[in-house]
Amino acid sequence: MMKVLLVILQVSILYIFSFIGISIQHFFSLTIPGNIIGMLLLFVCLCFNIVPVKMIESGAQFLLSILMLFFIPATVGVMDYPELLSVHGLLLIIAILVSTMITMAVSGKTTQYFAKKTQQREADQACETSSSQSL
Amino acid sequence: MRDIFFSISMILLTLVIYFVVSSLYKRYPLPILLPILSGTVLMIIILVSLGISYDKYMEGGQFITSLLGPTVVALAYPLYKQRDFLKKYLFTIIGGAFIATLTAMLSVGLLGKALRIDSALIISMLPKSLTTPVAIEVAKVLEGNASMAVVGVTITGIFGVIISPYIFKYLRIYTSIGRGIALGGTSHAMGTAKAAEYDELAFSISSITMSICAIIGSIIGPLIVWILQM
Repeated sequence: MMKVLLVILQVSILYIFSFIGISIQHFFSLTIPGNIIGMLLLFVCLCFNIVPVKMIESGAQFLLSILMLFFIPATVGVMDYPELLSVHGLLLIIAILVSTMITMAVSGKTTQYFAKKTQQREADQACETSSSQSL
Repeated sequence: MRDIFFSISMILLTLVIYFVVSSLYKRYPLPILLPILSGTVLMIIILVSLGISYDKYMEGGQFITSLLGPTVVALAYPLYKQRDFLKKYLFTIIGGAFIATLTAMLSVGLLGKALRIDSALIISMLPKSLTTPVAIEVAKVLEGNASMAVVGVTITGIFGVIISPYIFKYLRIYTSIGRGIALGGTSHAMGTAKAAEYDELAFSISSITMSICAIIGSIIGPLIVWILQM
């Protein structure tokens, strides 16, 4: 029971950050969504210990564990577009699917490549400064 | 009073479906049983057979959607736990997010043009790899259709989550950074939820990538429209 109350209380804290973020977005009429601003704000607060991590830990873990649930009502909205099943709709879907595969392959592969390069460079530097090691 | 009862029953229905499909997915982790896909399909079938419209369903459904706000904020928690790693790889992650956003917009724009799809429709698809609230804003700024943008975002999210294990296997993308960037940069928040299945690091990278992509996307969107001359 205490655990449930704790989660509800902590989720309310997260709601407050969400609200602040949305207010900031509207006030400065930014194109960056308010919830992302709220997230960055909370991140900064956690880093500077303005908000101790214990204050949001349980609530955050709970919400993130059922993340997929929150998308379902939005994705059900596809039902309002039966024209997606027409020839034109299918072409559009094909374009989306192919583009998704390309994006995932290109971004994943290039980033992995550059991350490895960075790691290698660091390893090389470490080798140069310490004794030489044969690989 | 009847409205309240209806809203509550829609919320309960969504919850029941979610918990049934996710426990099924835990037992049989097949891509087709992914809660976001099987849950959505099941929900649509039930609504259509009961003759309930989407607008009517959303009278209850909106309360579940409203929890997305604090959930996006909650992503600060994994970020905080991985802050040392993020600091070290910040430039790689920003670079990766840039590549992902650019590839996503250019590829769908060029494909759309090649397939002779209506240019207003193509523009609505440009922000498909951005998280829903950003995609709506970007589509509006570019004079596309906001609801079509949401459809594009949804299809991209679901398909990306389904196809990711095959792409990772085939292209040997096995590092947390590669997977995190690919999932967050392509399939936004749904990809981020999928990244949680790999490890916490991939999850954090994916969520920061999603946020950075949101910012990059709202900046380069107009540029892509200009390049493609739509």
